[in-house]
Amino acid sequence: MRKVLVALFALALALAFALAQRYLTEEELKRIQAGGKAYAEVFVNQRPDQALCSIHRNRLPADLLPKFLEEQRALIKYPASGKLMGDWRKGGAIFNNLQKANCFSCHYGSPEHLGGDVGPSLEKYGRNRGQSEAVQRYTYEVIYNAWAFFPCTVMYRFGAQGLLTPEEIADVVAYLLDPESDFNTKPAVGSR
Amino acid sequence: MSVRKKRLILLAGVAFGALAGLAAYTQQSKPLDPFEEAMRQRQMYLETFGVLPGDLFVEEGKELFYRKGPSGKTLEECDFGKGKGVLEGAYALLPKYFPDTGRVEDLETRVYTCMQRVQGFKPEEIKRDEVRAITTYIASFSSKAKIQVVPKHPQELAMYNLGRELWYTRAGARDMSCAVCHDQHAGQRVRLSPVRSPRQGLGNEWPAYRFEEDKLYTMEDRIDFCYESIAIPKPEFYSDVHIALTLYMLAEATKAGHSFEELPFFTR
Ligand code: HEC
Ligand code: HEC
Repeated sequence: MRKVLVALFALALALAFALAQRYLTEEELKRIQAGGKAYAEVFVNQRPDQALCSIHRNRLPADLLPKFLEEQRALIKYPASGKLMGDWRKGGAIFNNLQKANCFSCHYGSPEHLGGDVGPSLEKYGRNRGQSEAVQRYTYEVIYNAWAFFPCTVMYRFGAQGLLTPEEIADVVAYLLDPESDFNTKPAVGSR
Repeated sequence: MSVRKKRLILLAGVAFGALAGLAAYTQQSKPLDPFEEAMRQRQMYLETFGVLPGDLFVEEGKELFYRKGPSGKTLEECDFGKGKGVLEGAYALLPKYFPDTGRVEDLETRVYTCMQRVQGFKPEEIKRDEVRAITTYIASFSSKAKIQVVPKHPQELAMYNLGRELWYTRAGARDMSCAVCHDQHAGQRVRLSPVRSPRQGLGNEWPAYRFEEDKLYTMEDRIDFCYESIAIPKPEFYSDVHIALTLYMLAEATKAGHSFEELPFFTR
């Protein structure tokens, strides 16, 4: 029992240290202030998980991973209705909007815009994966918080960072999965 | 004809050219390569107007360079790093430390501080567009020059380190950093644009005329454009932030042996 407690204490301490870790030094932050208030605030308010990814150049050491993933999972919230698939038409408007979600800039597969290749192709995503509960959940959670699956990845954490509401994410899930959705019935721009 | 008037006439054509370009783009099933498209537009300008928009900024910058400030001096009295009035190859060495201001400065900042210290302008009298034009004029003397940014002075090293840290910092609501796009995804495309890393010469084409925007962009403007695209507020012009990032990128490009493009460059 004592041993477990000691181990737990050590773990908590290590974590507290890891979380309190700042990426930028006080001196650096001071010089960043010269960039102006609005700019500097972004860096002063850097989140601990962002700092961790910055410190480790986006490749977290194995011993930090379990805790990191757990924390990222804990950030995921679901729509009040409990439905993970919403309205695919609304979802399409979000997926294809540069200002809103900008999914197509990184992913191939949209019937409206030529997609980028930073992320994997999502062409005919729903046709390939089906609409099972597990697929719905996975898709919803990846969009809500990609860092819970791919730590420090480039994909925005749409839900966790408040870029999209749970309902909007459910709409995007429907856009990707619904067999009726343009995403699954129309050819992707750029496909032959 | 004055440079301004020439630019106005050209601008009328520009709006049309950009539209034509866009139409060509949307009508094509195969997406245009952005580089080829820029070359096509460039050729069109040369054939239609006999001059490139960037060259008009150079001309305007030259007029401003030889304009007397309140102190009665022109910018010939400013040392841009190779001695007073020496412009040949000066841009290729910047940013560097200047003992007179006690600061590491990029070319834009140097123009800005010299307009104050040498020419006697007040900061609020200095128009950003004038600094852009003067910067473009001076940079044109380093067209195709080998980039030679090697931090040595302690302040240059500190600036390089700050630039590197900023480069890797994940921040903002989109968790972005310059490195995520420009290192991890170098060689890939964000929409149609190929993304380069500093080691691949990132930053070697500024100042440039961007035909899509019909504007001249300096390096600081280009950095701001990326900040805007990741929803982080733009840093103030001439601040350490721009200078540090510029120093970092160009020092890395120097290590890889890169040269500047034709300056001012013509791009999308
Ligand atoms: C900045 C680029 C970027 C943006 C924007 C982006 N993603 Fe991603 N996405 C990625 C990357 C990269 C991956 C792969 C994760 C990894 O390996 O790091 C990914 C993974 C995924 C996956 C999992 C794919 C699989 O095969 O399991 C889905 C689903 C997904 N993204 C959907 C979306 C949706 C929907 C949006 C818009 C709401 C979006 N992405 C926006 C880059 C992006
Ligand atoms: C979301 C991805 C992304 C992020 C993050 C990003 N950039 Fe860019 N950057 C791009 C794209 C796309 C281009 C356009 C490439 C083109 O059209 O030539 C670009 C172009 C540039 C260019 C000019 C292109 C050249 O070859 O000279 C510079 C300089 C630049 N970025 C610097 C930065 C800096 C500094 C940061 C961090 C503050 C940054 N970028 C963050 C995607 C990004």
